[in-house]
Order: sequence, then C-alpha cells, then structure tokens
Amino acid sequence: MKLTLRWLQEFVDLPTTDPRAVADSLENLGYEVESIESVEAAFHGVVIGKVLEIAPHPNANKIRVCQVDAGESIAEIVCGAWNFEPGAIVPVALPGAVLGGDFEIGRREIRGVVSNGMICSEKELGLGDDADGIMVLDGEFPGAADRLGDDLASVLDLGDVAMEIEVNPNRPDCMSVIGLARELAAHFGTELRTPKVRVPEGGPKTGVVVTVEDTEACPRFVAREVSGISVGPSPLWMRSRLQASGVRPIANVVDASNYAMLELGHPTHAFDAERLGDDIVVRRARTGETVTTLDGEERALIPDDIVIADADKPVGIAGVMGGASTEVHTGTTRVVVESAYWDPPSILATSKRLGLRSEASARFERGMDPNFCDVAADRVVELLVEIAGGTAAGDRVDVYPTPIEPSVISLPLAEIPRNLGLRIDRKTIAEILTTTGFGVSGSDPIRVEVPTRRPDVTRTIDLVEDVARLYGYARFPESVATGFGGGLPDSDERLRRLRHTLVGAGYHETLLYSFVGMGDLDALGLSMSDPRREGIRVVNPLREEEGVLRTTLLPALLKAAGANAGRHIRSVALFETGKVFLPGTGKLPDQPDHLGFVAVGIAAQDWAAEGRSFDIRDAVGLWELIAREMRIPNATVAATSPAPFHPGRAAETIIGDTPVGVVGEVHPRVAAAFGMTDRVIAGEIDLTPLITSRDHWVFKPPSPYPPATFDLAFELAEDVPAAGVLAAIDSSAGPTLESRNIFDVFSGDPIPAGRKSLAVRLIFRHPDRTLADDDVAPIRRTIVEAVVAATGATLRGEL
Amino acid sequence: MAPTNLTRPMDSHELLSDLLAAASRRIDAAESLEELAEIESSTIGRGSQVAEMRRALGRAPAEERRELGKWINDSVTQVTAELSARRSALQAEIDAARLQSDRLDVTLPGRTPPRGTLHLVQETMNEIVDIFVSIGYTVATGPEAETEFYNFTALNIPATHPARFETDTLYLDYGDSPEEILLRTHTSPMQARYMEEHQPPVHVVVPGRVFRRDNVDATHTPIFHQVEGLAVDEGITFADLKGSLAYFAKEFFGTSIQVRFQPDHFPFTEPSAQMHALANGTWIELLGCGMVHPAVFEHVGYDPAEVTGFAFGMGADRMAMVRHGITDLRYMFDSDVRVLRQFL
Repeated sequence: MKLTLRWLQEFVDLPTTDPRAVADSLENLGYEVESIESVEAAFHGVVIGKVLEIAPHPNANKIRVCQVDAGESIAEIVCGAWNFEPGAIVPVALPGAVLGGDFEIGRREIRGVVSNGMICSEKELGLGDDADGIMVLDGEFPGAADRLGDDLASVLDLGDVAMEIEVNPNRPDCMSVIGLARELAAHFGTELRTPKVRVPEGGPKTGVVVTVEDTEACPRFVAREVSGISVGPSPLWMRSRLQASGVRPIANVVDASNYAMLELGHPTHAFDAERLGDDIVVRRARTGETVTTLDGEERALIPDDIVIADADKPVGIAGVMGGASTEVHTGTTRVVVESAYWDPPSILATSKRLGLRSEASARFERGMDPNFCDVAADRVVELLVEIAGGTAAGDRVDVYPTPIEPSVISLPLAEIPRNLGLRIDRKTIAEILTTTGFGVSGSDPIRVEVPTRRPDVTRTIDLVEDVARLYGYARFPESVATGFGGGLPDSDERLRRLRHTLVGAGYHETLLYSFVGMGDLDALGLSMSDPRREGIRVVNPLREEEGVLRTTLLPALLKAAGANAGRHIRSVALFETGKVFLPGTGKLPDQPDHLGFVAVGIAAQDWAAEGRSFDIRDAVGLWELIAREMRIPNATVAATSPAPFHPGRAAETIIGDTPVGVVGEVHPRVAAAFGMTDRVIAGEIDLTPLITSRDHWVFKPPSPYPPATFDLAFELAEDVPAAGVLAAIDSSAGPTLESRNIFDVFSGDPIPAGRKSLAVRLIFRHPDRTLADDDVAPIRRTIVEAVVAATGATLRGEL
Repeated sequence: MAPTNLTRPMDSHELLSDLLAAASRRIDAAESLEELAEIESSTIGRGSQVAEMRRALGRAPAEERRELGKWINDSVTQVTAELSARRSALQAEIDAARLQSDRLDVTLPGRTPPRGTLHLVQETMNEIVDIFVSIGYTVATGPEAETEFYNFTALNIPATHPARFETDTLYLDYGDSPEEILLRTHTSPMQARYMEEHQPPVHVVVPGRVFRRDNVDATHTPIFHQVEGLAVDEGITFADLKGSLAYFAKEFFGTSIQVRFQPDHFPFTEPSAQMHALANGTWIELLGCGMVHPAVFEHVGYDPAEVTGFAFGMGADRMAMVRHGITDLRYMFDSDVRVLRQFL
C-alpha cells in the first residue's frame, strides 16, 4: 500500500524523519518499501496574493483586469475567471514562476493590457482537475490572508514523502496507516495515538432496518445514515493525501470512504439512501440473480456469493464492489454508510470467480477486524459531517448477534529458545506482545489474548514469529547445522561427467523451455500417429508457445541452432539434459530425462584449413565417445529412419539389446523448416541408462609383447552394414584380439556394381608371449569364415 | 705398374697412404650425408681395398703381420674420424637450413581443440549443491509435473491462497484424478516428499527447474531454477538457519560478503525471512527461508514438539545473475552461442 510520512506521524512519534531510516525500520519489521518518492509541488515560485480591485478590460468583455497584492508588490494581472471578488486570497504566478514543471510565466500583453503574471486555477497548479475558475484559498486555508507573498507550496503543506509498502498477505491489519504506525510504535518503543472518532450527537433517528439472513457469511453489519450532505469535490488536503497515496480523488463521499480505509484499514461503502430504501438485507445470492457493479459490468451471481440487497434485489456484491443502482451521484443528499465483517473465504471465492479484485476485496478476503466495524463506520460519518456538510443519524444500526471474542494462545517460554536459539526473558516477551496489542498474563506459559484484527495468529509458533520479528532478526546468534553426509548421488556425479564429456567434444550446454508448440511438431515432420504428438496440454498457458509440454528436446534445439546459424555463427553445437513429459499410467505424467544435441556448420575449427561440415559420422562418433567416457558396455548402433532424421543417415543407439535413442543427420526438409541449409546433426537419447551406476573398472596390465597385425579386405553387398562385419570379427577372433578398425570402405571399379569393399586392420597381442605366425594363421581363417558366413562377403586377395 | 703384393708391408703402406689421401680429398669435397655414406662404404666398407687388405693379413709373414695390422687400423680410425667430423659439419648445415625454412609467425592463431561450455545456471546449481554437500547435506530431485497436494497443500498453503490461482500457476490437462496436476512453482514440494520417505535427521538440498505463469520480461521467464534446502533435527533453531545460510553466502560470493535477514512471510515456514546481501552499496534479496511450519511437519507425520527445522529456497538463475552482472534473465534461455561462450 502507499501512504505518506506525515500521515504516519499523525499516529506515531518517529525518532527520525529521514524517510530512508523510516523505510529501514519498516523493512526490519518485514514490510518491504518498494519506493520512496517526495510529493513535490508541480509549480515553482507561485505566491499568495490578495485581489484588491477588479476593473473591466477596456477592449474585451470576457476578461477583467485585477490589482493583486503579492506581498512585496502590487501586480496588474488580466484574468478570465469570474469566480472571485475583490478581497479573495488567490495563488499568483508572477513573471519568473514556473507551472507544470517547465512552463515559465512572463509578462504578456492581452488585448492591449500588459498582464504581470497570472492568477491560477487548481488545474494550472497541478493540484486537481478543476479548471473552471481560479483557486480561492480563503475558505480552505484560513491563515493564508496573513501570508501574502509567501510561497504557496509551504502554505499548502506540500513536500510530504510517499512510500509504497508491500504488506505480506498474512497481515491485513497492516494494510493501513494505523496498522503500520502500530508496528513502528512497537519497534521504536513510542506511543501509538489511536484515533479518537467523534460523531456529533443528537441527530435524527434512522429509518434503516438491516436483516442479516446468513450470519456465517456476515457475522456483523453496521449501518449509519448521514443526511443533508452535498456531493462535491473534497477539500484540497484530502485530495492531496489521497493522490499521494495512489488513490484518485473523485468526490467527497467516495473520498471519505477511501480515506478512512487507508487510514484505519477497514473498507466501507456508502449507498445513496433514497435509491436504496430503508430495507437492507444481507443474504446469499439466488440462482439467476444479477447485479450491475459500479464499473458498469453486469455480473451473474451464484448462491455462494454474498450480496447486499434491498427488499427484492441485490444492490451490491458484499465486500467486493457496490452496485450501480444505488451509487452516490451529484444529487445525493442522504447516504447509508455500511461497515461489515465478511467471511474471508466467501469474499475470495466470489472475487476470484468474477475476476473482480478491489481494494475492499483484497482486505476482506484476508480478514478484517469484526470488532472495528463500528469505529470504521463512524470515521466515515465523521468525515462526511466535516467535508460534505452532513448530519449524522443519532443512532447506528449494528447487527452482531454473536460477538467474536479474542482467542487465547499459550506461549511456553521454552518455545522461544527451542525455535529461535536464544533465550529471551518473560518481561521482554511480554513487552513486545503488549505493545502490538496482545493481552498478556501468566508467567510460564504466558497466556496470550490475540486481538481480533490478527487472523494470522492461531498457534504458538505465530507468537514466536512476532517475538522474533519485533525483537529483531539481527539480534539472534548464528551457528552452522551440519548434516551426516551422503554427498552427491552416483547418478549426479555421472551426469556431471557426461556434461563435461560433451563440453570436451565442443558442445555448449543450453537450457530450453519445457514447452513445445504444435507447429514445431509439424516442422519435425512427425506423422499424425507419432506418440510425440501426444503432449500434455497446459490448461492456462499465457502464450500459445507454452500450450503443450515438450515430448522431445529436438524442436527447441533445432530452433536454437537455426537462430544461431541466422546470427552468422560458423559453428553451432548445443546440448541439453532435461525432462520431457509423456502420458503415463500413474497419477503424474511420465517425466524421463533426455540428452539432446544438435550441431551445424564447421565441425573442426582451423582457420588455415578448409572447414569440414558436421555429418552423420560426427553424430555416431559422439555416441561412441559418450559410450566410452561413461563406460557403457555393449553400446552399438543400427540403421533407422524415424522423423525428424534423414532416412539414410540416422542410427539407433543401442545398449545391449535396448534401443535408447537416435542420432544422425536431420532430414534436409526439417533442417530447412528451422532455417538451415547445411547438413544438421542431432540426437536424442534416454539419459537414465547413460548415468546409471557402473561397477568400478578393473585394471588390465598392458602386454609387453609385440603385436601380430594383419589386414582383411572383404567384398560384400552395398547394403550390408559394417556393424555386421565387426560383430562377426568380435565373436570369432578370440581373446588375443586387441583392436579391429575399419580403415577403408569404397565401391566402384574394380568392385562390381551393388557391392563394396571394406578393409579392416586387426591387431592381436598375447599377454604372456609373442604371437607367432602359426598362432595367427588359424585365427585369421576362423575370422574370414565367420565374416563370410554372417555377411555373405568374399575375401579379397589370398586367405 | 707391377701388381701390388698385399702381403708385403712396403707395398701395403704405400697403398694405404694413397687411399687415405684420396679419401681425405673426397671427404672434404663431400656435399651430402649420402655422399659421405658412399665414401665410407667404398673406403673402409666390406668391399673396399682396406677390407681386402685386412682379409689378406692372415697370409702375411708373421713378423710383418703386427705392423701391417696396426697400419690398417690406424688408417681406418683416421678415415672414420674425418668422416665423422665432416658428417657433423654437414648435419649442422642441414639442421640450420631446416630450422631456417621452418620459421613461422608464432603469433598467428593456434589450432584449439573444440570445446563447449557448461550452462551457467546448471553450474550455479551444482556449485550451490556442492557447498551444502560439503557441510554434510545429501541431494535429491523430484518431479516437475507435480500434484497440487505436494506443491501447495502439504506446504500449508491454504486452498484460498492466490498462488493457487490460474493467474500464477500453470495447470495441466492430465489424468482423471480429481486432484489437479500442475507444473511445480517451487522446489519445495520435495520437502514433503523427502520427509515422507525419510526419518529425521534430514539435511538435504534439491536443485531443479520450476515454473510460473509470468509475462516474459527482464526478470521473469516461464521457467527458472531453484535450489531448495531442508534441515530437520532435534534442536535446530533460527540461529542455525542464519549461520548456515551466512556460511553459504560466504562460500558462494566470497568471505567479504555481508548478509542480513529480514522478516518475510511464507505459509510453510514461520518465522520466515529473506536473506539479503550487500552488493555495490545496495541490499539485494538473495533467497527466502524460515523455520519449517509445524503444520508441514504434521502433514508428513513428524512431531513438531520433537523436531524443528529450517528450509530455504533460492533462485539459481538469480544468484548467477547477481554474481556475474547479468541484467536480463532472458539471456539464460536464449541459447545464443555468443552468450553461452561466456559461461566459463
């Protein structure tokens, strides 16, 4: 909420007037001060003057020539307003004064008469909307006549400081000047000046009759009538203060209600009594009822809503907003001021359902003080008597069948050190609680009576909090609570290793939104039956792009790659590990973690050499690197062709017999859809099998003996995968095989069409001795037979 | 000329002198290592006359054999020495020429192996986690799509609390259960999940991604990242909360960091606080924390009369932004390589 420093000072003596110091105190109490702004006059050099004489203008009949006593001099000023007579005390802008921040007043000839400045309206001074006449000061500022020539700003009491203060939702009692003043008084140990509300007695008896049909919804309803009022602008002091507090002044009746709410916290509402009639009924709405609220909207009501009704229809939504039919208008002379206590959950439900939040609903939904309704009503009535010329009814209607009593909570002294780590003596605790209005008795436990304005205090810990807060958080000691270890789970350590592996391979880690757009899935070229289209919908997305949870990391990665390529970055390589969301069988969606990567552009950075673009081999190689670094046994690949990959350049990644993902080149059409014309590689792999715990590795001593090496070249059908050849070698070569690496693959002359040549270098080594030719020859024969049998290959050259 | 008789010392001596003189001339004139090798081979190698003389030595008269042998050896030694000297000189010339021709502008850019970067937010989460692991905490993670119960109810957030509004929280269209499924708005649901699974004492941190229904601007994105912490045991107090988090701040920002605690309000902790740090002369909010509310203990079956605890939650993105002077959260999720490259 927003309030001014002077307003606070009406209720509490502050040891400092430095706004920053006051703000610091509020923050130490838990009230964040979001802004401090000085309420400055929008004019400069305007003084108080007295109109001495008024003469007609010689050349014009709509304007007049005034002699104005501006203290040090008499100025002749031409003026077009007619709302004043000689003797009026007025604001005068002499030559050199500045209005509206930058408009400098000078001498000016008006129809042949030189005007030495101007007499100002409220609007010209930025004090209000009234531009109809000049501002006459003698009514509102009785002392002004004695201060001719003085600066207007000082007379108007401008120069206050406004603060925007965030009050936590558990403290509705502090959504007011008095509430924050109470906290400051407790903090500084100074006295709180509670407001003395006095309504003139002896007024006529009221004819208003209130019937509360649902006392659970409305435990208390107070109404007081004020007659003989005249609706008009509020006095400047009230308007300035409201304006400084962020509330737009409207007219005296509404302003009085708003002013009282800011000051004391409790919202009230004023009805036009003629339009309302004498009968007020508080009840739940009936099915099908509607009410047009003050904002002009017609609102359909349901039986959960609490309404204020006349004899037959709702005239306002309780605690949320008044109705248009009983609104105070310029001709209103009699009002009924309502001040009630509403059931907080009901108010919240209605305001939430209608999407209608007001200053009143924000307070009632958090809980107001039922025992303050009468004072709140009287404060508005008092103001109406003062500023709208009203006469208060002699009696107040107060329907409060079951008064709400303060609750009592027990506070054992030991709870303070048990929770806060510091023993505080009973006397100090009692002082803290008493100054903020708690009733305190008993020694240990302390018996604490909780004021009804404190809905947040329902159990002992709530009292512990208040003690801690007002004692000051800074005064508690510090110690470190250490745990019993456990450290990082193995999977976390392995995830870190995986991420480092990818970084070492040149990939930048990125973090992408967890959402996917339907358009993105189309761009991937997914078939209509692809399960990745079965994304879980967000009920209330803020943007269309956030409508569905991602089922795959690829679209966002491709988008990111495309965006970077569009920034003319020559080499883009990105990865992410994160969750995707898929329908499952449990209460929650399946949320597996995936590893996704994408790369486009130049694969190896060497300025002096021709760049090579990423291709399928980089994708498969990355998988091989991951498998090696993460010590994944039996990691292989097999040809596959799912969207969004190139049908001839994609590989399923397999651990043992289980497919765990796909890596490969992205389909050229998909790449184009994401704005890329070069080859793009990508992959998406289940993260869990990559980071699952592995047994510790066991050391193998290297053999000191020389290797036996030979090459084999096979001719085989073009479509037989190399993996088949390697698998046949692995299964037949025996324990002395150290490595087998494909070093040449080609087709064309002299190989017949439809076939290819594939050459492998095999290295053997025995742990205990040198391998002789006689050892290797049978192995060689076995391998060739196995490859031939498994792949239909023929050996090129001699066996 | 009469044929030379190699078994006659006089003839052999003469011949050796001639050979030595010829070899010296050729060695001096040699211009390459290959030429030297040829000279060596033809002068003192297997098929050379010197070799022949050595072989003939056996047939020489015994009284002359010794002298003749010495002559041959001396000659070979001399030729070898000359060859070696010449070879060194030639090698030095070759080396000098090679080094000269190898010269490069070493200030030209090098050939750097490709290397990526870890994301700042991930690394920040890890760093935060590691600080707490170093004082004995363990690590847990939880689901991002979460039930309303764990996200709100178990945390003492009333059914009417505005945080539950569809204006603040992203709800999912999922399943037939009457209970709403949502994207967790904080990592705090793991407090309840963890306590349900473990008996006190508990010291755990929970890093992870969270979601809010926010308009995107410099300080709001629909995803961000938190690290949650929870310590529960007999005798844990507000002093432990202050001390542990102050220790964390010093580890994370450096020992000169100043922190303070100010009251705040969260439904699941009481008393609640926010920790501020002094940065460039202004206090900035780092994290929210507080003593675990008894109602949260009651939800998970802990006895609040027996145990106390504190909990905290901090935005990893925010911590990283504060430390590295990043003023716009959107950079974190933009995947702009020019940004990612800076995350070192």
